[in-house]
Amino acid sequence: MTVSMLNILQSAVGVPAVPMDQVVVATDLRWAGIILLLPLLSLLLCGLCAAMRVKSKLPAWCTVACLAGSFVLSVLLYVNYNPPGEVIPLLSWMNLSWGDGALNSFSANFALYIDSLSLLWIMFVTGLGTLIAYYASEYMEPDLGKGYARFFAGVSVFLFAMLALVLSDNLVMLYLGWEGVGFASYWLIGYYYTRPAAVAAAKKAFIVNRIGDLGLALAVYLIWTTFGTVQYDELMTVLESHSWRAEFEGWTISAIPFLLMLAAFGKSAQLPLYVWLPDAMEGPTPVSALIHAATMVTAGIYLVARTYPLFLLEPVSLHVVAWVGGLTALLAATIGMAQYDIKRIMAYSTVSQLGYMFLGLGVLTTYGAAYHVFTHAFFKAVLFLTCGAIMHGFAGQLDLRKLSGLRHMKGWRITSWTMLIGCLCLAGFPLTSGYFSKDAILAEAFVTQGPGFEILGWIAILTAGLTAYYTFRVWFRVCAGPVSYEPGDELHDDHGDHGHGDFHPHAPRFAINSVLVVIAVGALVAATPYFMSNKADANIAGGWVADMVHDSTARAGLPGLAESQHPHSEEVSHGAHEHPTLFGMDPHKAMYFVSGAVGLIGILLAAYLHLWKRKSADALRGWLLARGWIAWLPRAMERKWYVDELYHALVRAPLWILGHICYAFDRFIIDAVIVDGTARVPRLIARWLQPLQSGAVQSHAVVMIGGVGIIVLLLALCLRFEWLGVVL
Amino acid sequence: MIDRLWFLMPELIVLGGAVLCAILGVSRKVGVRNLLPVFAGWTLIIAGVVAWLFVYVPSTELAAVATEVPLPWLGRWVVIMSAVVGLMLVFVQAGLVDRVYEAAVAAGRVAFDPLRTTRGEYWVFFLLSVGGLMLTSGASDLVWLFLALELTSLPTYVMVAIGRVDRRSQEAGMKYFFLGALASAVFLYGFAMLYGATGTMSLVDIRTVLAEQVAETGSMNPLATIGLMVAVLGIAFKLAAAPLHLYAADVYEGAAAPVTAFLGFVPKAAGVIALMLLLSVTGWQEDGQLPQVLVILLWVMAVLTMTLGNIGALLQTRIKRMLAYSSIAHSGYLLIGILAGPGAGYTAVLIYLVAYGLSNTATFSVLAGLRRSGQEVEFLDDLAGLRERHPIMAWGMAISAGSLLGFPPLLGFWAKLLLFMAGIASGQLVLVIIAGVNSAISAWYYLKIMAIPLVGTPKSDAASIERVDVPGARFALVLISGALLVMPVALSDMIADAEAALREPDKMQTVDEDSGHAGGSAIKQEQPSLQS
Repeated sequence: MTVSMLNILQSAVGVPAVPMDQVVVATDLRWAGIILLLPLLSLLLCGLCAAMRVKSKLPAWCTVACLAGSFVLSVLLYVNYNPPGEVIPLLSWMNLSWGDGALNSFSANFALYIDSLSLLWIMFVTGLGTLIAYYASEYMEPDLGKGYARFFAGVSVFLFAMLALVLSDNLVMLYLGWEGVGFASYWLIGYYYTRPAAVAAAKKAFIVNRIGDLGLALAVYLIWTTFGTVQYDELMTVLESHSWRAEFEGWTISAIPFLLMLAAFGKSAQLPLYVWLPDAMEGPTPVSALIHAATMVTAGIYLVARTYPLFLLEPVSLHVVAWVGGLTALLAATIGMAQYDIKRIMAYSTVSQLGYMFLGLGVLTTYGAAYHVFTHAFFKAVLFLTCGAIMHGFAGQLDLRKLSGLRHMKGWRITSWTMLIGCLCLAGFPLTSGYFSKDAILAEAFVTQGPGFEILGWIAILTAGLTAYYTFRVWFRVCAGPVSYEPGDELHDDHGDHGHGDFHPHAPRFAINSVLVVIAVGALVAATPYFMSNKADANIAGGWVADMVHDSTARAGLPGLAESQHPHSEEVSHGAHEHPTLFGMDPHKAMYFVSGAVGLIGILLAAYLHLWKRKSADALRGWLLARGWIAWLPRAMERKWYVDELYHALVRAPLWILGHICYAFDRFIIDAVIVDGTARVPRLIARWLQPLQSGAVQSHAVVMIGGVGIIVLLLALCLRFEWLGVVL
Repeated sequence: MIDRLWFLMPELIVLGGAVLCAILGVSRKVGVRNLLPVFAGWTLIIAGVVAWLFVYVPSTELAAVATEVPLPWLGRWVVIMSAVVGLMLVFVQAGLVDRVYEAAVAAGRVAFDPLRTTRGEYWVFFLLSVGGLMLTSGASDLVWLFLALELTSLPTYVMVAIGRVDRRSQEAGMKYFFLGALASAVFLYGFAMLYGATGTMSLVDIRTVLAEQVAETGSMNPLATIGLMVAVLGIAFKLAAAPLHLYAADVYEGAAAPVTAFLGFVPKAAGVIALMLLLSVTGWQEDGQLPQVLVILLWVMAVLTMTLGNIGALLQTRIKRMLAYSSIAHSGYLLIGILAGPGAGYTAVLIYLVAYGLSNTATFSVLAGLRRSGQEVEFLDDLAGLRERHPIMAWGMAISAGSLLGFPPLLGFWAKLLLFMAGIASGQLVLVIIAGVNSAISAWYYLKIMAIPLVGTPKSDAASIERVDVPGARFALVLISGALLVMPVALSDMIADAEAALREPDKMQTVDEDSGHAGGSAIKQEQPSLQS
């Protein structure tokens, strides 16, 4: 504590914070700041393009170039940094102190905290960002000269905010980035601002996120009041000092993880705040791929992983995280099964996969969560981008009942096969990347001891089966089977004159195809880190990603890490003493078979209902709807479990009534009585004083001298007769 | 050799610039006359750079000289601030003076007559007034203080009168002059009493004498106390603080907008600096408090000033009058910092002066940059929907008015926050609450100033509003708006610099001997913000 106070006091006079014992200040890595600056530069260039009404693809090239630069620098940074972490001071920002003592100073600067966790994140954020921006250069073509520059400006803002969020060395800068990505998300969801649905979705996303943001703001405040710092390195030092643990008691320690959790659930679309994400699909598809699948929505995972030691102080919070994650995964998967809009199915699948990641965090495998974030970023991006290509080519058609046999059509083969790769990964087909990352989470649910974690494990396995089913439902419907299609209702100008009769889908061209191939290959290659040997600690399994987690604040949640290295987890444990078994095997081994089998069953079911006997799917639905005792199930799944309606009744309607009451109060009491009433007072005074303000020099002079005279006389009298004691 | 004169280097440069302007102003070549603002601007830049890099670089000799002045390093902050804000004012005023006459000369209707042109005079007075502000900060005795204040004020009377050819501005100049003279008499009267009570003119000596008297009798000499009160009240005129604020609305409205921008900052800053120096003679006693009478006086002045200013601005429809009243209110806020005293209070005052000076200049630069058939825009409603035709103006107005209101994350917000925090730290909670309420009242009209140009529906004759042909005002507006957004990033550096500027001479010396880098650290701390 004293060490950290010293740092705060030193930083209060402008000297950058002194490093903690193992985290070093690396001024020689200052160039890493360019990673953050490049998206800003891109924003500036896009702004210039918009101002100069550039009609070419220049904004896209500026963005792609800047983001590619960020990516290259991120990789260079990964090569050059020294574990276990480095602080790179960039700019001093807030260094306030108003006296000595624990809570009398506050310091938050623009500094980068580089450890393997942030490196993992920035590498895939910038890498996928570059590719998706390149994809968008073709996808956004219809808007050339209209919203083109605005779109890429939004992407740049998003990348800047996301990188600031991930790279920040303190919670205040993280909060800045957190709000920044929320704003960029609002900007891009509402990109088609003439469409009421898009505007409503943008507002919904923003408002629902605000609830989570409130949690983050309160959490940052409580962390500051409790630990006296918001900087990660100092925070971790305080947490590891045993004297602090001995003396501290208080409710804040329990409240902080729950508030952080609220923030994470808002941003990462978990129960009960997931409702904004499916609606966010109103934005352009590259945005859905980048922000609402691969990167921004994982910010919640990042936040929890980053502040993991705080969660370990309150084990109940981790149990809640696990259960919320597991239930969200199941709920979203069931909704996804019954949707027809392929982009929406992918959105629900994102919610569901994010649920898996939270389940992983909750059952003490930050490694599994981080690995799933990593693989999911690739395969979900490829799935969204293929949906985008289809939407782009078929004039906005997204209904899987109206598209079929794409893989036989000329020009659509790359789309179909890359989509298949994405589907295989998402379904957890054996030996794909999604298979390994999902297994890491599922197995740990059986290993870690917690309330009902075994049930949670079975729920997760069931969800894995459902995931495989709905994923391949999409692929078999859209890509397999006989060729047939109907165009959507968004006919662009260039073939508006054809009419519906002779609609020609225009197949994706080089930019889209190349990006699809690259990301699909990435999705496959994402399995290889699993087989790499561990450098950091021989006891842990999981390859490269585990190494990345090992050198960070999230290290406590690594499977196989020796008990002695868990300073805080007295109550939470991996259960190394009595390792539970599944089917008589180690759960990690058993899961290879169980989840593989479940995935295959799901795929086969989908193949039966949607490829071989397509009519039977409708027959099944009709059969279910006809049986009174079960009819509610498909109906509820199609209506998304009535969650929107529920929120409408429970939240919106009361607020609406309250709003009208407030309006009436404002209109008739405040406006009429108080405001108009008070407004009369200054006017009355003004009228009363008007003679003094005649504008004549003499009267001004009289008032001046009179004022001075009266005041001096009064105070002099006070002084003379010692009335001051009475006055004060 | 280093002596007191070394400290006056920036002021001497400004004086030299003024003389140069006086000579060049009567040149027959129109190109030379047009170069006057450029000369004035460069003079200020050179003065600022000299102060920054050469004059206030500490050395033991300088520290020895510095003991003669209550706040010897204050000059660094004040000179650089005056140079920066002054430079912005140069941009705003460039091309303003003598427009009609110069246009007539250019059109060949009139032959150039050195006796009739006022452009040279205007820039001379401009530089002299800014030089007066710089000089105030170095005051070591009462005579110097008085002369510096007069040097700040006297040129402004003329500037108001010749700023535009209009009966109203002549009237405003006249009024300003008479009332200013009256106020000068008041604070001179206070100075005389101070001299009578202590027998010395030097501020440092007065402090010593008063401290001895307090040690002997247990309380401050009544004559000195009353003298201080009268002097403070007299200086209130420079700040436009109650009860000497009445002139402000008339004069500010009567003067041309660029001149009003000048009036809103330079005399006010000089008044604030003078108050800081004058109150230093009390030594702030041992508990860091002023004598109770002075606390009451400043407290009442602060409350009256901000309340009257804000209520006055509330119902105005004329934008210049509104801004004039609001600038009265800002004097009230500044008095909180003065009351909070050396340390946090003065630091906040110095930063608030910068924030206020920049924002105020920016709001007036909008008014200076717009014309309607050769006349200034008078009513706030005339600016409705300005964004559609002049987006830079509208956004600049919104940013600068937001900064005046204290809208996060603009510089004005942080300055006001520091001011209020200093007030609370010094125990003036009630005063800060009153200031908070006042701030909320001010939101009413500031938000109007922000919103009407951005989202208002343009009036039918909105198209007749045009930008003036000289781009200086727009340039200043863009620069200041950017600065208001960006400067908070370097807030901690600014605080460190302000604290460095407020060190007292004796403390200065010890630190200096310790490490030999005390004042240098102020310069070092600049570097991070410059590099990044």
